[in-house]
Amino acid sequence: MTDSKNLRTAMLAGLVAVMMIGLGFAAVPLYNLFCRVTGFNGTTQRYDPAAAAEEPQVLSDTISVRFDANVSPKLPWKFHPERPRDTVSIGARDMAIFIAENNSPHPITGTATFNVTPDQAGKYFTKIQCFCFTEQVLQPGERIRMPVLFFVDPKIKDDVDARDIQEITLSYTFYPVDEGKKAS
Amino acid sequence: MTDIAATAPVHGHDHAHDEHDHVPGFFTRWFLSTNHKDIGTLYLIFAIFAGIIGGVMSGMMRLELAEPGIQYLHGWAQFFDPAAGDTQAKHFWNVLITAHGLIMIFFMVMPAIIGGFGNWFVPLMIGAPDMAFPRMNNVSYWLTTVAFVLLVGSMFVPGGSGLGAGTGWTLYAPLSTSGSVGPAVDMVIFSVHLAGAASILGAINFITTIFNMRAPGMTLHKMPLFVWSVLVTAFLLLLSLPVLAAAITMLLTDRNFGTTFYDATGGGDPVLYQHLFWFFGHPEVYIMVLPGFGIISQVISTFSRKPVFGYLGMAYAMVAIGVVGFIVWAHHMFTVGMSVNLKMYFTAATMVIAVPTGIKIFSWIATMWGGSLSFKTPMLWALGFIFMFTVGGVTGVVLANGGVDTNLHDTYYVVAHFHYVLSLGAVFSLFAGFYYWFPKMSGRMYSEVLGQLHFWIFFIGVNVLFFPQHFLGQQGMPRRYPDYAEAFTYWHHISSIGYAIMAVGMLFFFANIVYAYVAGKKAAANPWGEGATTLEWTLSSPPPFHQFNELPRIA
Amino acid sequence: MKSLKTLVIAAALSFGTMGVVQAQAPAAAPVEAPAATPVATPAPAVTDAAAPATDAAAVPAGDATYVPMKPVPGVGQPVDGGLNFQPQASVLGQKAYGLSHHILLPVITAISLLVLGLLLWVVVRYRASANPEPSKTSHNTIIEVIWTAVPVLILAVIAVPSIRLLAAQYEPPKKDALTVKVTGYQWYWGYAYPDQGIGEYVSKMLTPEQATAAGEPYHLAVDNRMVVPVGQQVKLIITGADVIHSFAVPSFWIKMDAVPGRANETTFTVTKPGVYYGQCSELCGVDHGYMPIAVEALPMDKWKAWVRSRGGNPDGAEAAAPAAAAPAPTGPVPATTEAAPAAVPAAVPAAKN
Repeated sequence: MTDSKNLRTAMLAGLVAVMMIGLGFAAVPLYNLFCRVTGFNGTTQRYDPAAAAEEPQVLSDTISVRFDANVSPKLPWKFHPERPRDTVSIGARDMAIFIAENNSPHPITGTATFNVTPDQAGKYFTKIQCFCFTEQVLQPGERIRMPVLFFVDPKIKDDVDARDIQEITLSYTFYPVDEGKKAS
Repeated sequence: MTDIAATAPVHGHDHAHDEHDHVPGFFTRWFLSTNHKDIGTLYLIFAIFAGIIGGVMSGMMRLELAEPGIQYLHGWAQFFDPAAGDTQAKHFWNVLITAHGLIMIFFMVMPAIIGGFGNWFVPLMIGAPDMAFPRMNNVSYWLTTVAFVLLVGSMFVPGGSGLGAGTGWTLYAPLSTSGSVGPAVDMVIFSVHLAGAASILGAINFITTIFNMRAPGMTLHKMPLFVWSVLVTAFLLLLSLPVLAAAITMLLTDRNFGTTFYDATGGGDPVLYQHLFWFFGHPEVYIMVLPGFGIISQVISTFSRKPVFGYLGMAYAMVAIGVVGFIVWAHHMFTVGMSVNLKMYFTAATMVIAVPTGIKIFSWIATMWGGSLSFKTPMLWALGFIFMFTVGGVTGVVLANGGVDTNLHDTYYVVAHFHYVLSLGAVFSLFAGFYYWFPKMSGRMYSEVLGQLHFWIFFIGVNVLFFPQHFLGQQGMPRRYPDYAEAFTYWHHISSIGYAIMAVGMLFFFANIVYAYVAGKKAAANPWGEGATTLEWTLSSPPPFHQFNELPRIA
Repeated sequence: MKSLKTLVIAAALSFGTMGVVQAQAPAAAPVEAPAATPVATPAPAVTDAAAPATDAAAVPAGDATYVPMKPVPGVGQPVDGGLNFQPQASVLGQKAYGLSHHILLPVITAISLLVLGLLLWVVVRYRASANPEPSKTSHNTIIEVIWTAVPVLILAVIAVPSIRLLAAQYEPPKKDALTVKVTGYQWYWGYAYPDQGIGEYVSKMLTPEQATAAGEPYHLAVDNRMVVPVGQQVKLIITGADVIHSFAVPSFWIKMDAVPGRANETTFTVTKPGVYYGQCSELCGVDHGYMPIAVEALPMDKWKAWVRSRGGNPDGAEAAAPAAAAPAPTGPVPATTEAAPAAVPAAVPAAKN
């Protein structure tokens, strides 16, 4: 009698534990989703001109956008922005060029991660086109120019935490794509 | 609660006539144990053993830190690997801090306070014959020992720059993934998996026992506060440990199977690991200290000869601490780069914890107020606990301020803070519980003189050890450094002297155990007098192998 | 003053021998900052305005007057036996210290003493010999409400300045702030000044002998300091190259993790010239304890001399700004593709979001 009751309580508790394990793993997609929606961690937004109902309004206010480029020490590339920063009108499209060059005698595949600072600007930094996360193959000595087309959402001016931002930094880091690691 | 007494005759006393009370043979009793008291004893012995290892490690660290420069690490590293050079010596330092943290948390405090005292006294206090699942209880214990063997074993296998895992107990990626090649970190992760699984099984066992096996009349609101504390702790374990298990499983796959959950290369985020880790890690600190709160409540009430003041407030303060403990985790990550709103939220939420904690502190004082206090050894530890936990608590309020934490984060101020709440908090409550229940568990009285000497020397030692670390932290001394600038010498030196004093105190502890078994007086069923009102004191000392064959009735 | 000369020699790596540093850095780890080495290519930081700017800079660079400053004991570094925070040399640091020292410290001391006092009182007053008959009181609603409400009030009082401090710390840096790029490596720091055209140089701990020779505290002293102007807001863009590090300078009240794959930013404004030391504050492996940070704050003119001694253009930021403003949103698109026709096939399919 008490045995079956005990078993039921234990099963319920066990179920809770299993659900929490599930939640632990589910945190990965949930976290990514959360970052995308809220701009948390300086996650940038995406914009599809074809799907968008209306073009963003261009304000007379300007904002400075700084471009920052990093390369993993494991990747023998040079990678830098063409200009360190641009001053753009809020809402207007701008294009930044990042230049990557393979210094090694081998063809190498690289891929980039990115974020913007300050953190609260992520929600308003909107990319139309970029090379984020796309694998790039560079032949020995090859040098490519990679454009990033973006605008700063005018809604930034309505956000008390973000409207005073004078400069947003867009940062990219290139990593080698580890083929060996993928295969294992 | 504590003022209830079993009014019905308790037949456990006359165990000589009890046909069920046959004790199994040595091997069956201690290796296939299903008796909650035996398992509790095993846990306590295990915790003392692990505590000695973890304590010796902290002694090694304090010895190395007594003077600037590296004096001993080379020699110690060479003990494990005769070819060890400078790199291996410094790596050994990181192995020490990692192992000390993991051992003290997973293999000393948790086994002692939950596995040891929880197993021993939860069934006794609620009038149950045993735990709900005695075999599962045994499985938990042996999983814990295997986990410990794995952890110690990891110190002998390669872990990157030397033997052993040097990642810190937090196992932050990417240092624990791409930053540490070799099986040591895998072994540590697996060890934490097993210890976590053991604790989850234990939590299920406690929850079932407390919900279903209380003696007739023992309502939830009559349960002793120690049982309440274990119940809340069991829920914290059940909700937080699976998340840790998931988090470190992903570490394992990142290390071995090419996934990139925490690896920016493949679109992962190392900060996600920190969120998951501290979602477990913050409740974990309450897992360590809540049962201590319960013990302190029993001890204070007993030696004040007064019921606990504000019983319901005390019980629900623990529930509140447990609940709020789940929504404050990111204060461990204030410098990781987070938005201002998030930091404001975590600052405010963290400070809220001070309220239920304050309720507990003041209620303990109010319990003593108007009481008739006798200062036996357990009471001294309880008094020491209250003050030391207050000091550790108020520095926690300082650290809760995100803007102030910027400077103190990852400095010795934090080291001092968490040692005040754990080494002077949880450990003081462990000693309070040990001296309080030792006569009940062993049937022998310890030496009051040795117990008091142990307390005073240990109390002075740990304060000399940890208080100066506040100053070091304010001066900017970072954590986890094997060596330091000369300007930190003075307080580091004092701190190391404090360790030596504390170690002398521990000698009295071990001497006392030996004394008790060699020359200790036989303990009465209730050596503490009318203040001790919970059910365990209605049984003989030690209690019969099987108790409460006829369940007590609670008025 | 003579010893300053020795210091100059000890830190000689940082001047004319820039190339040596640059040659060593990739050997240790391929450290390639966005701004390439000044020797190899003109800093892309100021591509448009660079040519005249660097020429102009080259002249004063010859008579560089930068001499590494000697640290003052008790400023920007710990003091043996010291109890309190290091004296704060930044605007926000002074504000934070005010909260910590004038609000939090008195409050926590008072609470601790109150609890100690109450404990001592009950121990003396209610010891068994003084009070043989215990009372049976176990409830008092009023007192329970009080000890719940009063801490809430105290916390609310603390929360106001605390939240204000956070808001101040998060005030976005001004557009004209000096930007320094900080990269944490196992186990040293890399600094770059993108607007001044100073490519990344590495900053490593001095050996005990070098530190003694330089008259600096061993364990804190580095070969190449980060140098910033006094009174000018500085913005740090911080990232990690391999594992997580943490950039911390206690006397500025800053600490920010250097996380691989993402940039963090923090800001400070130094109020007094001096040398301010910090240390890596996130466990990063074997030499975690051996990658200190040294920030030297100089008056603006001396800072400019330092920039020139590094081959940079101190006015780069201002020079670059108009140039950067010129490219209109749509203007450079065709120019880009024409300029590097080889790259087009690679770049265009890549641009898929």
